[in-house]
Amino acid sequence: MFFRIVGESFSRNPLRKWLAAVALVLGMAITTAALTVALDVGDRLAREFRAFGANLVVSPTADTLPLEIGGVDYRPVEEGSYLPEADLGKLKTIFWRHNIIGFSPFLEVPAILERDSSGPAIRTTLTGTWVNHSVAIPDGTIFQTGVLRTHPWWKVEGAWFDDSKQDCVVGAGLAARTGLKPGDTVTLRFARAGLAPLVQPGQTPSEERHVSMHVTGILSTGGTEEQVVMAPLAVVQALTGRTGEFRRLMVSALTRPEDEFSRRDPSTMSKAEYDRWFCAPYISSIALQIRQVLPGADVQVIRQVAEGEGRILTRITALMWLVCIAALLAAGLVVGATAATSVLERHSEIGLMKALGAPMGTVSALFLAEQLVLAFVGGGLGYVAGEGLAYLMGQAVFGVPATGRLILLPVILLLAAAVVLAGSLIPLGRVARLDPAPVLRGE
Amino acid sequence: MFWRVLRGSLRESRGRLAVALVAIISGAAVSSALLDLQFDAERKFTREFRTLGANVVVSPPSTGSRTDEESPVFGGEELQKIISVSNGGQSGVTTFAPFLFVVAHSAESSVILAGTWLDEAPRLAPWWKVQGQWVSNRADRQHCLVGRQVARQLKLSPGSSFEVTHAGRKINLEVSGILSTGGAEDNQVYVNLAVAQGIAGVGDGVGLVEINVGGNAERVQNFVTELAARVPELEVRPLRQIAQAEGQLLSRLRMLLLVTVALVLALTGLCVLATMATLAMERRSDIGLMKALGGAMPRLVRMFLAEVGLLGAVGGALGSLLGAVLAAWIGRRVFGTAISARLEVFPLTIALMMAVAMAGATPLRLLSRVRPAVVLRGG
Repeated sequence: MFFRIVGESFSRNPLRKWLAAVALVLGMAITTAALTVALDVGDRLAREFRAFGANLVVSPTADTLPLEIGGVDYRPVEEGSYLPEADLGKLKTIFWRHNIIGFSPFLEVPAILERDSSGPAIRTTLTGTWVNHSVAIPDGTIFQTGVLRTHPWWKVEGAWFDDSKQDCVVGAGLAARTGLKPGDTVTLRFARAGLAPLVQPGQTPSEERHVSMHVTGILSTGGTEEQVVMAPLAVVQALTGRTGEFRRLMVSALTRPEDEFSRRDPSTMSKAEYDRWFCAPYISSIALQIRQVLPGADVQVIRQVAEGEGRILTRITALMWLVCIAALLAAGLVVGATAATSVLERHSEIGLMKALGAPMGTVSALFLAEQLVLAFVGGGLGYVAGEGLAYLMGQAVFGVPATGRLILLPVILLLAAAVVLAGSLIPLGRVARLDPAPVLRGE
Repeated sequence: MFWRVLRGSLRESRGRLAVALVAIISGAAVSSALLDLQFDAERKFTREFRTLGANVVVSPPSTGSRTDEESPVFGGEELQKIISVSNGGQSGVTTFAPFLFVVAHSAESSVILAGTWLDEAPRLAPWWKVQGQWVSNRADRQHCLVGRQVARQLKLSPGSSFEVTHAGRKINLEVSGILSTGGAEDNQVYVNLAVAQGIAGVGDGVGLVEINVGGNAERVQNFVTELAARVPELEVRPLRQIAQAEGQLLSRLRMLLLVTVALVLALTGLCVLATMATLAMERRSDIGLMKALGGAMPRLVRMFLAEVGLLGAVGGALGSLLGAVLAAWIGRRVFGTAISARLEVFPLTIALMMAVAMAGATPLRLLSRVRPAVVLRGG
């Protein structure tokens, strides 16, 4: 009987039920889409932030002070210590290996650029790095990385050098000074015992070397790298006798914004807290994990990038959550209002039932059951529609569809049920107090 | 007559109208809050991006040959020009500072001495972390900030002092704080500009000026063009690492907000529409009665439109007030400063809500086919 009445109500007045369901579907679709995007936006934007470049820098612990002004390192090759290139594959074996987007090792050596004409020689730096290098990972896979990943804003007019050839690119500033262009050959001279200004008076460079390289492109970076000559790491290693070594590693990693917890000193944490810290992609825990696989390395957070990124990410995520809550509130109110209307407009029906002797409890149960059926159907459809919208939104904004989350389905269904029940209960309470007689008379 | 029926109708169905009003108000509140947000968020985020540091650098052009140890410097005259352009009201410059780098010697090792306005540093480079004390006075010739690596190398700690020499000149510095940034600053000693100028013997020369320009890419470009015209002998360049990534992120954010706002607006509108349509549907018997009494259909529709239009206007007005409060709250919560409500959002929201509410009257068109007899019988 109970179910027959509920069923009857749906089949007898489909249009009215459809309108209520449409409001419900739309409301739940907004909620689903907003929730999905809010859950996704942190990860997506963290990836976008990698356009700012590396956020971790690795250097040898026992290194001497780099004497770098305007991209020129004034330190001789003999000074300072180096890190082994062979260890780099281990970076992709740490706990958060998938968060390591890319890394580029750098080896710099002071050099003197000789011009063809008898003009004065120009002091510069020869920098060795990877453009797009294949790194063997201990688990047997290959990882492609280099400045293309860690320095996405660097632009080359012409072409990048091939990591396996003895070619180079010349910084735009240096190229402007010397008139070098792609296709030229550049001759560099460098002394193995350091460079003139830092050689103490009376001491002469013991051995000089010359190297000629083919220029494949002009590098413009907007930074100090525009004053240097850049060549494959292997070439610079061979020239300096530092085979298999580098001096600086730039790492670009996806991280979670720092919070109160992550700023604490890990040594003061309890075991459980330490585990939680270690297993969260905070930049400080990634730095620690890198330190563990690279012995003798000092891993520093590039605070300029990390701080700004953390702050902006936190703001955007908070903003999306608030927009999401606002949308949810509006959707809830509208859906609740629709539910209330659908109860109100049937007060004559309720009057009739009461007049026939139905207790108010049964009448309410009848109505609530009807609304719940509506809530589940509408909520389910709304979830599907909302995930579709979130997919399109992700595609439109980030070029990558937002990942649907099944966990949201029960949340949305419960929410729909709660909103509809709340919307129905208030008018039901009012209707319960009505006297059947005047209602039936049509007043 | 029209107005009397309207008034009567409004009074009679108070409960139902109140419910519809709630729907319209909440729709309007969210719409206007999101519109306010959309207009203001880009400006807010642009300001946030300025915490990433300087985006314009002025330096002497790197032409000619230099084989000497010093990096090229430019004089105080150019610096004054840069200051006057930067302090101009329309420039958008939030902060700027000159720098001078000198390779000096301390004990056995070489170290880079960087001179700048140390009181300006916390604003130009908010990510600097100092263990100890900042140097808060530009005229302080005694104290310095020592990079993390330098402190380790020279075994310095806050309070200790050391000697720096360059080209025969000698100064004594007291360590005020240890600086850690993860960048080149870790390997440098930061002193006030005058100290560096003194030891380098360059008078009032500076090596470069870092400028933090607020606003979008276009504004930064305008500033660069303007400044380059004033100091043609210097090189003014935007820092691409910051500028490009910032532009890219801003366009993503704009898109994200726009899509979210458009979506929520559209769906909220549809929700309100559905509610209003329900309201129209239950007018069946009223309309049947009016038709039976000889009322003309267009007039009946007009009456209903007036009713829901009024509802839309009232709901829209109340909702946009609520929306302004909501936007201000979101602004304070997210950015720390309120998002100012924009005047044009009020009429926009009201118009939107009226349009949506009146569009909800569409089912009435279906009612023109209603046969009074059937409806009055209750069928």
